[in-house]
Amino acid sequence: MATGESSDAGPARFGPTEEELGRWMDSAFHVAGDALENGEVPVGCLLVYDDEVVGKGRNEVNESKNATRHAEMVALDQLLAWCRRSGLDVGRVSRRTALYVTVEPCIMCAAALRFLNIPVVVYGCRNERFGGCGSALDVSSADLPQTGTSFQCVSGHRAEEAVEMLKTFYKQENPNGDQKQLCL
Amino acid sequence: MEPQAKRWKGMACDTDSWVAYPVLSDEQSQDVELIEAFAAPIVNKRETSRLVRELNGLYPLNGLQHVKRVRAVKDKVSHHPLEVLLCPVSDAPDAEGVSIETLLPSDAVSPDGLGEPFLVKVPARPPLTRPQFELASQHWPTSFHEDKQVTVALRGELFSPPQKARMHSYMACALAAAKAARELGMEAVGAAVVDPATERIIAVSHDCRGDHPLHHAVMVCIDLVARSQGGGCCSFDRYPACRFTSAASDVIQTAEADAEATPQPYICTGYDLYVTREPCVMCAMALVHSRIGRVFYGSVSADGALGTKFKVHSQKDLNHRFDVYKGVLARQCENLNSAHEHVEGSQDLR
Ligand SMILES: [Zn+2]
Ligand SMILES: [Zn+2]
Repeated sequence: MATGESSDAGPARFGPTEEELGRWMDSAFHVAGDALENGEVPVGCLLVYDDEVVGKGRNEVNESKNATRHAEMVALDQLLAWCRRSGLDVGRVSRRTALYVTVEPCIMCAAALRFLNIPVVVYGCRNERFGGCGSALDVSSADLPQTGTSFQCVSGHRAEEAVEMLKTFYKQENPNGDQKQLCL
Repeated sequence: MEPQAKRWKGMACDTDSWVAYPVLSDEQSQDVELIEAFAAPIVNKRETSRLVRELNGLYPLNGLQHVKRVRAVKDKVSHHPLEVLLCPVSDAPDAEGVSIETLLPSDAVSPDGLGEPFLVKVPARPPLTRPQFELASQHWPTSFHEDKQVTVALRGELFSPPQKARMHSYMACALAAAKAARELGMEAVGAAVVDPATERIIAVSHDCRGDHPLHHAVMVCIDLVARSQGGGCCSFDRYPACRFTSAASDVIQTAEADAEATPQPYICTGYDLYVTREPCVMCAMALVHSRIGRVFYGSVSADGALGTKFKVHSQKDLNHRFDVYKGVLARQCENLNSAHEHVEGSQDLR
């Protein structure tokens, strides 16, 4: 990696430019829109390393019958697989990877992002009930020395749109469709 | 009662070595918050019922319904056997110098029969547990709607000897899995999910962080439960100590009768989790998402989220809450992470 050597020298601030932020969030919204069209929870996320998408996820709770298969968890699995395929060290990659997600990660996902030392999380709207970046709990910046590293949040990009997608989804929900009644 | 207790005497040497205590919410376990209020002695006892009626009209003690209006004074120093609460200091009219006249400015309460006002402290909120009630009552008489189960649980007496024997055996499964993880060079943490209705162990797991930094024992156990229900997203087949009991045998029996009527349980609904160490915040929230029934853990952990750093199980506004008990096989669970474990472990096997 071109940036490999210099990045270890000091804590140079890692973060996306405005242009990158807009571009990758557009992609995350595209994933969320796809999910909505297919009757799935409209949350989409991307993990981007060195201008490359190394993880892309949407909620997979229903197919896996595992309530922890949120978009972020799916994308983190892909990041690990990508590192394995590329023969790269997970720690080195994840410390320079940003997450772009349409909705604030929940408490569980925020902790998972800490364990992988993801430094930056860009999200659209807040997740009032379950959000782990300050809405329900502040896992992102809490003093948890055994739970990876804290991360920086950039919030609010296309927030209303993200909320609208969630509202549309929950309106579509059939009241008997308990299986799909999810918490993000 | 007696014969059954005797029947379990054989296990008593083991189950007596630990006590499961509830991990209560902050509201249930915090100190009693006090606020200041004005009270006055009742110098003429015959005025008591009128004073209480008139004071209730003028100062209705909104939000302080748990506080009694009148208290009996037991110490002999006081000449007056009764004292009455006038109002919280925050409700008192602004005036220079406090007197019965400034506190009761209107005609609504006639101060006949009242002595000079003085400051007292009263509990700001109704007590939720017996320890809170006892503390609150030291300041001012307080009513208490006791949750008997919480009182018994706080004494460590909620579980009967046969229940403790079963809990012991489930945690022993988790402990064995934790030791298997350590043999493989992973963190010594084990977990087991049990259906308390059938007393069946659904899944047993251990930490698998060697392969994947998020494969904590609890996350693995949740995925194994999903697999037992025909789902799951990972294979842990290479770890013999990570296993699940397929729900298939049960399903076959009930499938035809009520295949449509009863949908699959929401993953861990009604199940109990036994885990050797207090779960981290990721695992704790994963248990909320999975709608776990109850959680029992052995030892606490520094970043633990079911009591130590957070209380995710009693977090406000989450869509699911559950009971948590700690201390099951506490010593054996604590020893998993200590250097002396091998010595202690061999003693356990004698
Ligand atoms: Zn999540
Ligand atoms: Zn964990």
